Amino acid sequence: MAVAIAVPRVWGPSRSLRQAALLLLRRPGPRGIARNHLHRQQQQQQFSSLDDKPQFPGASAEFIDKLEFIQPNVISGIPIYRVMDRQGQIINPSEDPHLPQEKVLKLYKSMTLLNTMDRILYESQRQGRISFYMTNYGEEGTHVGSAAALDNTDLVFGQYREAGVLMYRDYPLELFMAQCYGNVSDLGKGRQMPVHYGCKERHFVTISSPLATQIPQVGAAYAAKRANANRAVICYFGEGAASEGDAHAGFNFAATLECPIIFFCRNNGYAISTPTSEQYRGDGIAARGPGYGIMSIRVDGNDVFAVYNATREARQRAVAENQPFLIEAMTYRIGHHSTSDDSSAYRSVDEVNYWDKQDHPISRLRHYLLSCGWWDDEQEKAWRKQSRKKVMEAFEQAERKLKPNPNLLFSDVYQEMPAQLRKQQESLAHHLQTYGEHYPLDHFEK
Amino acid sequence: MAAVCATGCRLLRLCAAAVEGPWGRLRGLGLARGFLQPKPDGEDVAPRRQVAHFTFQPDPEPREYGQTQKMNLFQSVTSALDNSLAKDPTAGKDRVFNTPLCEQGIVGFGIGIAVTGATAIAEIQFADYIFPAFDQIVNEAAKYRYRSGDLFNCGSLTIRSPWGCVGHGALYHSQSPEAFFAHCPGIKVVVPRSPFQAKGLLLSCIEDKNPCIFFEPKILYRAAVEQVPIEPYNIPLSQAEVIQEGSDVTLVAWGTQVHVIREVASMAQERLGVSCEVIDLRTIVPWDVDTVCKSVIKTGRLLISHEAPLTGGFASEISSTVQEECFLNLEAPISRVCGYDTPFPHIFEPFYIPDKWKCYDALRKMINY
Repeated sequence: MAVAIAVPRVWGPSRSLRQAALLLLRRPGPRGIARNHLHRQQQQQQFSSLDDKPQFPGASAEFIDKLEFIQPNVISGIPIYRVMDRQGQIINPSEDPHLPQEKVLKLYKSMTLLNTMDRILYESQRQGRISFYMTNYGEEGTHVGSAAALDNTDLVFGQYREAGVLMYRDYPLELFMAQCYGNVSDLGKGRQMPVHYGCKERHFVTISSPLATQIPQVGAAYAAKRANANRAVICYFGEGAASEGDAHAGFNFAATLECPIIFFCRNNGYAISTPTSEQYRGDGIAARGPGYGIMSIRVDGNDVFAVYNATREARQRAVAENQPFLIEAMTYRIGHHSTSDDSSAYRSVDEVNYWDKQDHPISRLRHYLLSCGWWDDEQEKAWRKQSRKKVMEAFEQAERKLKPNPNLLFSDVYQEMPAQLRKQQESLAHHLQTYGEHYPLDHFEK
Repeated sequence: MAAVCATGCRLLRLCAAAVEGPWGRLRGLGLARGFLQPKPDGEDVAPRRQVAHFTFQPDPEPREYGQTQKMNLFQSVTSALDNSLAKDPTAGKDRVFNTPLCEQGIVGFGIGIAVTGATAIAEIQFADYIFPAFDQIVNEAAKYRYRSGDLFNCGSLTIRSPWGCVGHGALYHSQSPEAFFAHCPGIKVVVPRSPFQAKGLLLSCIEDKNPCIFFEPKILYRAAVEQVPIEPYNIPLSQAEVIQEGSDVTLVAWGTQVHVIREVASMAQERLGVSCEVIDLRTIVPWDVDTVCKSVIKTGRLLISHEAPLTGGFASEISSTVQEECFLNLEAPISRVCGYDTPFPHIFEPFYIPDKWKCYDALRKMINY
């Protein structure tokens, strides 16, 4: 069975990986099926020529008679695009996205509300009120910057540390809490651990724990392309998940099958306790993109405007040109991996403090807001109080609600319930009639 | 509804060139024309390719689905796919395409397509190579609906793959992995015994609102030929079929093995005067417990046979359930005639497979219990 592969022509001034901020893969001619035909025609024409040119179907390159290995360039890797400095000042005015005040305030409020919710829910786990939690400290910029650059109907596949995307899309606090508490209001019907959010209305595919499994699901972008839906797909993952085989599969498929997708890697320095120095030897994740034929960029993930600009451009071009884009957002995981982790076991408090105090996406945006005159200390105080109040209210309500009916343990395995499963459901109901006192039935809906 | 098929390239076939062709050019190099000498007649030589261990029995021509055509099993699968594509109003080369060689990618990609509501039909070139996709199937496809509270699902995904022994397939072109997937709630696993069954069951899998795995007995691709309707039709999932009624023993199998036990039923009638009820399970999971139990309540004896290894094979699930439900009806222990607990061997295949003699022998022991 033949496998036809059209190989893009890769140019570069030198063989080292030192590149301009945006790596360009120039292709001769139009994308898509037309290009494949054109390329194959060109190859056939070349084949009949008597020139001593390479005829290999597998690569589009010239011969060389000097033995030279390409050196992976990790000393000065792909540069990091940023718009603001650490004090929130625009560096190059032509890169300022000039977002309207309302939008910038929404960015700021989403990040801070998320931060407040994180603090309260982390505490609630510590107090035994929910079973588990993962905070987003330090990475809020990657969430809202990218979410703001997408269309509302663009489909989001997340890993588990992208709650800010949902926050930006106005997912109500009540539903965040409902999922964490697994109460009757949880749209997920109480089936998953906390922070495994999902929302059909807001086009946020339900989170699953296995890492990187969402990456090959770029087929969604292929379907959107076929349907001419003018819809992009964004797929978030961490630098640790990028080591999984599924990541390799997803990148290769997206490029080869020409899918309008943005791969968004949150490189936050750690995969639980594994630092990046033990995760990869190459130049991070961005450097892998060109290997697959993917347009790639590295950005300062703590700079909301840089994230916004890169995502915006990637989104527009992905849909217009039906090709994937890879954005590696450099950031830092200020919090522990989860409530099951104590990161002081593998990193210094000083390191964490640096990021918290000197290079935090929320502070940098706040400085920008202050310098624009769009925010001041009074509003800050008022907002902190208000957001805390909102979160506490939602929290208390969520805690008071019952859990869903235990019958929901059995539904949705298939669209229809198979006979065998119905029998098992009946056997549990029967069992509870006799032994119900040993089960926490009071907390569950009848 | 858009339909998409994706494949990965796996098997290399070396075709012997015609003697006059390329070999002719090598004459100038001093090689004899047709240098592969034929074996002299009458010499005691190693056996040539095996005679099949089964005889395919076509079912009578179906009347209720309109015009039929003679098709073998792979033609009937193609017919099902053609019918399916015809339902999609969009056109284009991008509906049926090759992918990079990566099963986890093939299945993951198919899941992504299905999540948007489009129909995806993913081909894994041999069931032996489905394992890289095991995580995507078990942890993602099977659990998509449940874990999202029915907000999302990938029900419009079907995975199809050649399955089962083929005479010379050895470890990696002969496997029957249905038992691995039977243990996973959320997916359906289906195995047809014939072209007519294959088309109807495959169309049902494609239209089913749950992710399905459709295993196609590759040894039947050309060996099984019968009249198959040209138009689409459905055979229901999770319904076993009693293809022959009987009163003394119940025989259960699926795929190729159905034809083996059919022959065992004839042998039992001829040699032992024993009347067998033959059941094709068709859907492995969720399986039709009622049909099998109803039969065993009548006959009191059950023999289950599959090529896959004995331990943990699907026969153990059937056996366990039947002894729970029909304990007092049983006249003899339930018998399982399966492959041995070894990888699937090459040269030893005739000894490995649960052929009609092993099934016949087990049946005889059950009758005499």
